[in-house]
Amino acid sequence: MGYSGVRGGQEAIEAAERLVERARFGGHSRWLELDQITERLGPAVDRVMGEGGLWAPHLAARAVRQSQGDLLEAAQLLRAHRSTLPRLGYSLPADTAELPAVRRVAPAHRNPPGGQLLGRSADFTPRLLDLGPEGPAGAHTCEVPNGPDLPHDRLPESAGSDPEAVLRDAGLLPDRRNTDDPEPYDITRAPARPGTPRSARLSAMARAETGSLTHLWYTCGRSPRHQSPEIPLELRRGRLPLRVTHPHTGRPVTVAAVQVTEARTVRPIARPRPDGTRFDLGYGLCFGENEPKALAMAGLDLLVHRDPHTDRLEQKVLIALDGPEASGFLEHLKLPHYVDFRSTMERVQAVRAAAGGRA
Amino acid sequence: MNDQLTARLAGPPPQPGIFDELSKREIRRAMLSGIAIPGYQVPFGSREMPVARGWGSGGLQATLSLVGEDSRLKVIDQGEDAGVNASNLRRLVVSHVGCEEETDTRHADIIQSRHRIPEQPLRDGQVLVLQVPGAEPLAGIVRDMDEQRRMHAEADYAKMWVRLYEDVVHNGLITAAAGYPVLVEGRYIMTPSPIPRWDVPKLDRSEAITVLSAGREKRIFAVPPHTSVVPLTFEDRPFEVEHTPGAACRLCGSADTYIVQEPAADGRFTTWVCSDTDFCRRRRTGDAPAPAQPVQGETA
Ligand SMILES: [Zn+2]
Repeated sequence: MGYSGVRGGQEAIEAAERLVERARFGGHSRWLELDQITERLGPAVDRVMGEGGLWAPHLAARAVRQSQGDLLEAAQLLRAHRSTLPRLGYSLPADTAELPAVRRVAPAHRNPPGGQLLGRSADFTPRLLDLGPEGPAGAHTCEVPNGPDLPHDRLPESAGSDPEAVLRDAGLLPDRRNTDDPEPYDITRAPARPGTPRSARLSAMARAETGSLTHLWYTCGRSPRHQSPEIPLELRRGRLPLRVTHPHTGRPVTVAAVQVTEARTVRPIARPRPDGTRFDLGYGLCFGENEPKALAMAGLDLLVHRDPHTDRLEQKVLIALDGPEASGFLEHLKLPHYVDFRSTMERVQAVRAAAGGRA
Repeated sequence: MNDQLTARLAGPPPQPGIFDELSKREIRRAMLSGIAIPGYQVPFGSREMPVARGWGSGGLQATLSLVGEDSRLKVIDQGEDAGVNASNLRRLVVSHVGCEEETDTRHADIIQSRHRIPEQPLRDGQVLVLQVPGAEPLAGIVRDMDEQRRMHAEADYAKMWVRLYEDVVHNGLITAAAGYPVLVEGRYIMTPSPIPRWDVPKLDRSEAITVLSAGREKRIFAVPPHTSVVPLTFEDRPFEVEHTPGAACRLCGSADTYIVQEPAADGRFTTWVCSDTDFCRRRRTGDAPAPAQPVQGETA
């Protein structure tokens, strides 16, 4: 069987892979260890876990290292790894009221019940490039700061005040909680399409590419249709315990504590609408420390709830924000297209001939 | 005791590989649904593959769900077995399943292809898996997915016909190039992945099963054997395949295959070669049926 002719492509891709590996494993600096990535590049690892849809810090760190810092590529690696794992079960519903928050800001209130907790945040650190001297390899040039923490480094758990409750009790907020407790829509098992439940929308956004989500919020949230101001009720971070039903005892057992960022946001009902007496409410929750993502998610959840059809916003949120899908489709343009190019060229020439014939 | 119980509950250890057996079963169910309703786009829980979305992730899932150790697998891109993309997909499947590599269309059980249907007529028992970058034939006509679904459900294709008519009015002909819209078994309009128009008649009443799989858009559709596939056109506008007068493959001389242009040394596009490299090789060694009658290269 004349197989020698088909080896050319294989040899070329193997050579290309050798060049990549030379860059990955070569060089003079020390090999990046996984702990270095998870400790020193935490937001990158978090972002990959969120967009990859898998909570696994060390696997995400491997993906970041393998992709040489290309976070979209790292998310793709994590997604492909997910596909090799069987789906054995689902966790029990997690109540974020139980979230021991290590950071909580509530922009809508001066002094909310439960208090504000700035926590670890660079929000107010001047954005100055650190030009301090480089120490010898492997050494810090900065001391780890040892000043006093503020009296509480976490909120008292009893402070779990529901920031919505105040507004809801006053009749200013629609109650968007489901009382019939439906099973969540699993977008990894059935495609998300317009008309799927809110849970599909929220999971699509939790897996969305952070930049795309930011961009969509930025372009939609500020359009004239949505001129009413958006004000977050609350933004929180913390480790959320996840439980499954124990297969022997049938009792819930905590199997993981995943770091999450959670946001709730409100806007008054837009002016041309008849009911101006209440606020709309949006919700966002994503893996890791990713505050822009949670905020954009909450803002878009609200806008889709308010008006899913204008500019096909619901459709965009469901199908246009996925990082591996968008980047994969963009990059597939690099594949050979000469078969369809010939077909297209033939039509263009035919149109020219037809036009010439008429002239 | 508890260890045993846990082991039993966990089931057999997962096969290391690309995706798990339960997922493959789900893909096969989607393919069967597609075969039962020719041309209908079946939504499925498309998994992420070790290739990026848009790079054959849908075709790969279909192929992996179909091949066994004793299958003979042919993978082509643009008609070529040796291209980098075809080589990569073949290597992935073969290393995962351990099936036989095949380049001769006649001997393949499963043919995964991007953009082409082989020149060799397919036979009963073969499955052609086409990679589909865009599954929705109405995507260029209405943007709203709900509306697209309604139009398919009610076979309300008036807007598609208007689009084709406008094309004729503006351009004097239908400009759809590759991925020409077809009507399957008189019911669903389908885009046959971007195969050239040259390949569209091969879908009609084919002996083989054609599975079209769009991984990114999470839809599978199919054309079962002996199913009518009719390109959309008007009575006074015969369907036109790609045609360049006088052009023929510089290697085998064929004028009855789909040929693509190669820039010559002077930079001008003057030479042509078959895109189906296996068929071209067979023509040169006299192992392929001689052309019944020249089609391309004749004046219309
Ligand atoms: Zn040839």
